[in-house]
Amino acid sequence: MSQNLRIALTKGRLQDQSVELFEAMGLDCSPIRDPGRRLIHALPNYPLEAVLAKAPDVITYVEHGVCDLGVVGKDTILEKGGSFYEVLDLGFGQCRFALAVQEGSDFYGTYKTRRVASKYPNVTRRFFEGKGMDVDIIKIEGSVELAPLLHLADGIVDIVETGSTLKANGLVPIEDVAQVSARLIVNTASMKLHKELIEDFIRRCEAELEKRREEA
Amino acid sequence: MKYRINTPEGTRDRLFAECRDRRSAQGALVDLFCRRGYSEVSTPEVEFYDLFLQSGNPIPQESMLKIIDRSGKIMVMRPDCTTPIARVAATKLKAVPLPQRLYYDETVFRSGDQHRGGSSEIAQCGVELIGAAGKKADLEIVAMAVDALRACGLTRFHIELGHAGFFRSLAAGMDMTEEQVEEMRRLIEGKSFAALAEYLKPWQGQAGCAALLRLSRLFGGVEVLDEAQQLAGQNAALSYLRELYDILNAAGYGQYLRFDLGLVHQIDYYTGVVFRGYVEGAGDAVLSGGRYDTLMGDFGRNAPATGFAVDVDAVARCRPSAERPGVGTLVHFAPSELDRALAAVDGRVAGTCELSPCETLEATLALAKEKGAGRVLVLEPGTERMVEV
Repeated sequence: MSQNLRIALTKGRLQDQSVELFEAMGLDCSPIRDPGRRLIHALPNYPLEAVLAKAPDVITYVEHGVCDLGVVGKDTILEKGGSFYEVLDLGFGQCRFALAVQEGSDFYGTYKTRRVASKYPNVTRRFFEGKGMDVDIIKIEGSVELAPLLHLADGIVDIVETGSTLKANGLVPIEDVAQVSARLIVNTASMKLHKELIEDFIRRCEAELEKRREEA
Repeated sequence: MKYRINTPEGTRDRLFAECRDRRSAQGALVDLFCRRGYSEVSTPEVEFYDLFLQSGNPIPQESMLKIIDRSGKIMVMRPDCTTPIARVAATKLKAVPLPQRLYYDETVFRSGDQHRGGSSEIAQCGVELIGAAGKKADLEIVAMAVDALRACGLTRFHIELGHAGFFRSLAAGMDMTEEQVEEMRRLIEGKSFAALAEYLKPWQGQAGCAALLRLSRLFGGVEVLDEAQQLAGQNAALSYLRELYDILNAAGYGQYLRFDLGLVHQIDYYTGVVFRGYVEGAGDAVLSGGRYDTLMGDFGRNAPATGFAVDVDAVARCRPSAERPGVGTLVHFAPSELDRALAAVDGRVAGTCELSPCETLEATLALAKEKGAGRVLVLEPGTERMVEV
């Protein structure tokens, strides 16, 4: 095994914000910013190499220990679960899971079993299980907002950032399901076997997050 | 007939090197266990579902593989070996005096999540020391955990110790409901540093709070015991871990030992020292164990107990695979020369020499070529010659 730590970053917006955070921590992230054709990016001034992956794959890589660390949204963690340490809330990528319905409709005011569309069937199932309520859950891969419009579902459980997509489609969020933000996760064995390296990385993260909080 | 060829998810065919590596790890472990006076027990692969419900051993319902028998009873493929062994020790072995040293070399079955690459069949080799409380029993078991991984040929590994009593004593000092303690425990187990700090805010200033706040970070070398003591003051669990460490260290085990006071999994099941083994190259713990003094009581015989299990396949994957030599010689023999042919095979290194089933020497030579064997030993009545291929 190499002496470098390996981190899996969720591609897209979380990747950009992770890179910003790491640069603020003093890490030279130029290989990630300018990846070329390489898939594994070794940082020049810190014993860390980064790979970019889709969110659920970040969890898979960390769970199997092929990556020691990962940055992934709480939404993916809630949906996919798994066994790893979720050490830090990185503060960015904030949004929330919400239950949304068509404006004017009464989701709870009926004894009929409700039908809910979501990209996150496990989150949805747990949410309604917690209420002791039976619902039919339909997994949708694309625009979940479409399901109530086509009368396929009575409501949706989805990520809400600004709420403008919902509004444009005549939907309103009626209840929060969970808060979401980016998390730093660590493989359980790596945490023990590479304690010094990982603790140093976490300390730097924490120091920067603390600074950000004070500035805010 | 659609599923004629494939094996179910979570299962697989194990071939050659994989079987040899598994056997050699099992062999090393069994040899160690026997030398230390442990006797083998083997319990059924299928047990009643109820057995695993009453034991307080938190195996989630959905990870047990279930079967309904002819009379409609729910059975499960054994998800764990400790519970059935406790059953045996409390019932069939009731007349046998304690302590009992038992070992097993079995497969346990867990239905893993879909498409996660986990295995449903886990080869476990482990020990239970039943009817022995206290320091000497814990020393024996922890030392054997180290020796078990050493016996498997591993060098870069840690056995990490914790104590269920440390968390319990701290939690008892907090003004919390059961649910709140459980939420706190979950955050500590997951090492959710930030979320734990946030969660504990309302209890700041209470007796154990400072130590609980740091608990998920209290892992590493023996120095974490010092830090824990500064935070929590004099604590029986901490002193006990220190005592174990000092003795084990003096016996030469110190370099393999680490601590994680945030090891708070299955807190209702474990009652004392808990430990896990981590090896370079495995993404998760390969050994897991601890003291469980209440389980035997569930089967009507109160007795303290401790033990551990090794995930044999995980260990086997972490060690260099032993190469087996290829076939070098085929024996072409007249049927009347069977005894000499077998003696020739048995006299050579295992796997390097095989009998040829062919009728003609030409066919045997062709077979030798195909197998990459360099020589054919021809045995005929009264003669013996070696033919190079």
